[in-house]
Amino acid sequence: MRKPWSVLLFLAGVTLLAGCGSKSYVVLLENPDGSTGAVVVKGAKGEQVIDQARQGAAVDGSAKPAAVAEADIQRDFSSAMAARPLLPERFLLYFESGGAQLTAESNALLPKVIENAAKRPAVDVSIIGHTDTQGRADQNEALALKRAQAIAELIKKKGLKVHALSVESHGERNLLIKTADETSEPRNRRVEISLR
Amino acid sequence: MRRSAIFATLLCATLVRADAVPIGYVKNVTGNASVVTAGQSLKAEVGSPVHVGSVLKTGPGASLGVTFKDETVMSFGPNTELTVDQYLYEPSQGKLRMNSKLAKGSMNYVSGVIAKLQPDAVSVATPTGVIGVRGTQFLLKVEE
Repeated sequence: MRKPWSVLLFLAGVTLLAGCGSKSYVVLLENPDGSTGAVVVKGAKGEQVIDQARQGAAVDGSAKPAAVAEADIQRDFSSAMAARPLLPERFLLYFESGGAQLTAESNALLPKVIENAAKRPAVDVSIIGHTDTQGRADQNEALALKRAQAIAELIKKKGLKVHALSVESHGERNLLIKTADETSEPRNRRVEISLR
Repeated sequence: MRRSAIFATLLCATLVRADAVPIGYVKNVTGNASVVTAGQSLKAEVGSPVHVGSVLKTGPGASLGVTFKDETVMSFGPNTELTVDQYLYEPSQGKLRMNSKLAKGSMNYVSGVIAKLQPDAVSVATPTGVIGVRGTQFLLKVEE
């Protein structure tokens, strides 16, 4: 008598899981860079952390994370996955000390920036200028803006049509390499370009 | 001189009407999709702006992809409705927040800079639970 019962319970369990799978649920994927992060699910029925790729859980938090079959992922998400836009891309361009003159190496990178930007539909570009900590903070604020504007000009001159463009200065407030004040640091004299 | 005047004007416009600045743009569409902003529904097209409070909708067989200022990338399958409830992206001032709500449908979410800098400030609500995004890619389906 015991066996049929356990089979029945097992079947009931499978049916329940399948039931969960077809309703509201979340599945963790690998990040585009190959790493894996985590999501936390908080629902009326509990809280779960998913930190393994291809594992999923019901959104109500009722069950521990479990592997999700590739067939289920395809059935429920193939359309959303296929619609994923080109992932944003970043470039760093570096400057000679004290002005808006690009280093030779960064100047050589510009055509690549333009080429990649031109491939994007309705490209949205942000250009943020930075300085090192040499000189007064207010002058660096202006210098960083000058650098960002110089890059915006160069990009326009090369004929790139942008859908949206923002040009900002972070002055010496956002150092890539932490230094003391009044420190010349080539890696901090930069413009950050984000192509979206 | 003229150019810096234009920059200054743009900057002022940004400061005065922060709400009017798009937080992202539609990057691809197939089928019938729309962006509803401040009660006004517009057909989604490549380049359509998305604002704080915008509702993104796809119809049967449709899909939609959107890229946000902080490099968050979202894409949606058919019969989907997502609202961007809150969006703050001012890293230099430490103002970071992104809360959205998926009422129905399916999505692929790739988190951006906000989740990287302040993971506890990024979430997607659904009718039955909330997803806390800790810097990652995930899929989410909401069945009504």
